[in-house]
Amino acid sequence: MGALLPVLVLSLWEALSRAGVLSEDGFSRPSRFFVAGAKALADGTLLVQTAQTFAAAGQALAIAAFAGIVLGAILGLFRPLERAASLTIESLRPIPSVALIPLSLLLFGFSRDMSAAVAAFACFWPILLVTISAVRSVDVRLIEVGRLLGYSLPNIIAKFALPAALPAILVGIRVAAGIAIVVTVTTEIVTNPRGLGFAMTMAAQSLQADLVWATLMWVGVIGYLLNWGLERLERRWLRYR
Amino acid sequence: MKRAFTKMSWSLVSVAFFAGLLIAWKLAADAKLLNPLWFPAPDRSFAKLWEWITSGALWSPLADTVWRMFAGWLAACVAGVSIGALIASSTAGRRLLQPTAEFLRPLPASAILPPAILVLGFSNAMIVFVVAFGCVWPILLGAIHGFGSLDQRLVEVSRLLNLTAWQRAWKFQLPSAAPYIFAGMRVSIAIALIVTVASEMLSSQPGIGYLMLVAARAFRSADIFAGIIVLGALGFLTNYATQRVEDWLLRWR
Amino acid sequence: MLEAHGLSVAYGAQTILRDVSFDVAEHEFVCLVGPSGCGKTTLLRTLAGLTAVSSGSARFKARSIDGPQTELAVVFQDYARALLPWRSVRGNIALALEARGIPSAEHAGRIAPLLEKLRLAQHADKFPSQLSGGMQQRLQIARCLAQEPQVLLMDEPFGSLDAITRQELQDEVARLAKDERRTVVFVTHDLEEAIYLGDRVIALAANPGRIAEIVTIQLPRPRNQLTTREDPRFLEYRHRLYRHLGH
Repeated sequence: MGALLPVLVLSLWEALSRAGVLSEDGFSRPSRFFVAGAKALADGTLLVQTAQTFAAAGQALAIAAFAGIVLGAILGLFRPLERAASLTIESLRPIPSVALIPLSLLLFGFSRDMSAAVAAFACFWPILLVTISAVRSVDVRLIEVGRLLGYSLPNIIAKFALPAALPAILVGIRVAAGIAIVVTVTTEIVTNPRGLGFAMTMAAQSLQADLVWATLMWVGVIGYLLNWGLERLERRWLRYR
Repeated sequence: MKRAFTKMSWSLVSVAFFAGLLIAWKLAADAKLLNPLWFPAPDRSFAKLWEWITSGALWSPLADTVWRMFAGWLAACVAGVSIGALIASSTAGRRLLQPTAEFLRPLPASAILPPAILVLGFSNAMIVFVVAFGCVWPILLGAIHGFGSLDQRLVEVSRLLNLTAWQRAWKFQLPSAAPYIFAGMRVSIAIALIVTVASEMLSSQPGIGYLMLVAARAFRSADIFAGIIVLGALGFLTNYATQRVEDWLLRWR
Repeated sequence: MLEAHGLSVAYGAQTILRDVSFDVAEHEFVCLVGPSGCGKTTLLRTLAGLTAVSSGSARFKARSIDGPQTELAVVFQDYARALLPWRSVRGNIALALEARGIPSAEHAGRIAPLLEKLRLAQHADKFPSQLSGGMQQRLQIARCLAQEPQVLLMDEPFGSLDAITRQELQDEVARLAKDERRTVVFVTHDLEEAIYLGDRVIALAANPGRIAEIVTIQLPRPRNQLTTREDPRFLEYRHRLYRHLGH
């Protein structure tokens, strides 16, 4: 039933295109772009570009997760530090990630690092904030148990605080992963060093409408699958809740 | 009273911390520890921003960015709420539309840019359309969820009071859907800003985004940071304003 | 006023109520009491027009009850869910007036006496989330009274409240019913409450729900929490009806 609407839309599109109502230059038609997409998949270009996008996004997520969790844990455990940093966080957080594209271009040129840097900035904040809140809300009783059992502070963080905060942190990482992909693709579209965004912009510039639509569909499918996959993973890991 | 004082003193500490970071940056830039080409001392960026404000060079591109953002976002609000209201009551409608909306939600809104450029060319209409497209899904999904969430007990109360369908929709369903719709709107406005700036950068339409990209090509890093400050402020203000409006309208919670 | 005749309600194979017959006269305060699962809430909902009758009939002023009607106001037990959280106390009462199509110019004049009567005048502009449980229930009652119903159907209205608030509200409802000359059907699982409030108590048995006994309460009014409950006749009624509660 859910597939009904897309099928209807695509059929209508095909019909209108063949009837000449929708201009072929801009709109192409489903029959054409499915073929273009299949070709791009078969000769590997689409897969290479997907890998490039994922590589940049993965790099961004890794950097953001490391920095976010470490800083988040410290700020979560030491309230005064968090208060001192609050203005800085609240000033930097609203900066839209795309605003950093020009700066990143200046620093890294047209490269994977450029996209990764912008995406890392975007992902960092949700992970940081989620970690702060998760670490802060770890039950004090748990920490007391750790201290009573004679554990040192690093051990308490590792064995008590972080595992207790883990479920919430994982949710933050899942959200951040989605953001990483979106921002990476956006960066690629605007500056196109490589990857799926690059593929779309290149196709648009060479007026290959069918390839543009095909890549768009592919991006949609990838994004959806990624989201779905991450949710399943999260549910499995957190089965004990 | 004591709590208010403590709160204020902590605000001062955080201001001091922030200022401290800026000072450290300036010192590092002056001592050439940071490449001044890429990281000019903050006072240069603030000076550039001030120059933009006083010379009037800021206002036109800012106005362009802001109106496109709001036009697209408002269009998405209207579309999202009305479509959501229409189909929320029909199970068939929901099953038809909701899976598509859920599928399109994780799609990066900027990914629509290349096809939109093919169809609509480099124009304001194209940007507004892309912004609206990116914004509509969170609002639509919020509206669908919200309109379907009226407590069963309240449905019975509305029947007992013998309300007309219009009265029920306006007095019961809309207020109860409001929190979900507002959550969608808040997410959307952040998307609107990002997509507007990205569109400007890609399509070289006059706006803050384009301004910054040109500066990047000319290696004018102070301009870039001035632009970052402007966009950060814009992001902060829109988020703050939306949050305040929401808090006021939903103060009954 | 209200009449049930051979009323039965069944869901599939399960019979909730079987062959229930009784009537409620005008201005009467009738209490329905019984153990959990005896179908008293279902019976009330049938009278409210929210639940359909499987066989037999339920009538209001000789007309069959097919659906909700505004002359029969319902006070629910879960008051928080029955109030509009986004409207103030005033706004919630006004809801009933709006439903009746009363012009807004008249609202203030009608709301004020209700606020006085239910002792909510000081909280008129607060939202339900800012009110205590007892106040929220009084607000629900005020809204129902704003409907100017002929019958008040009350479904264990004080079940979620603490003992002291419950007693206060019992007396308030008794007073309101008498002052406004309304007919009341009051469902409760609390036998003492039923005897304290009612002109008549209908005891229901469970599995399936059916009338076990109908007792006319001849205790003087106005009733008093202390003296009435110590009255030997009160205790007699209590003894008589106790066994129907499944003990």
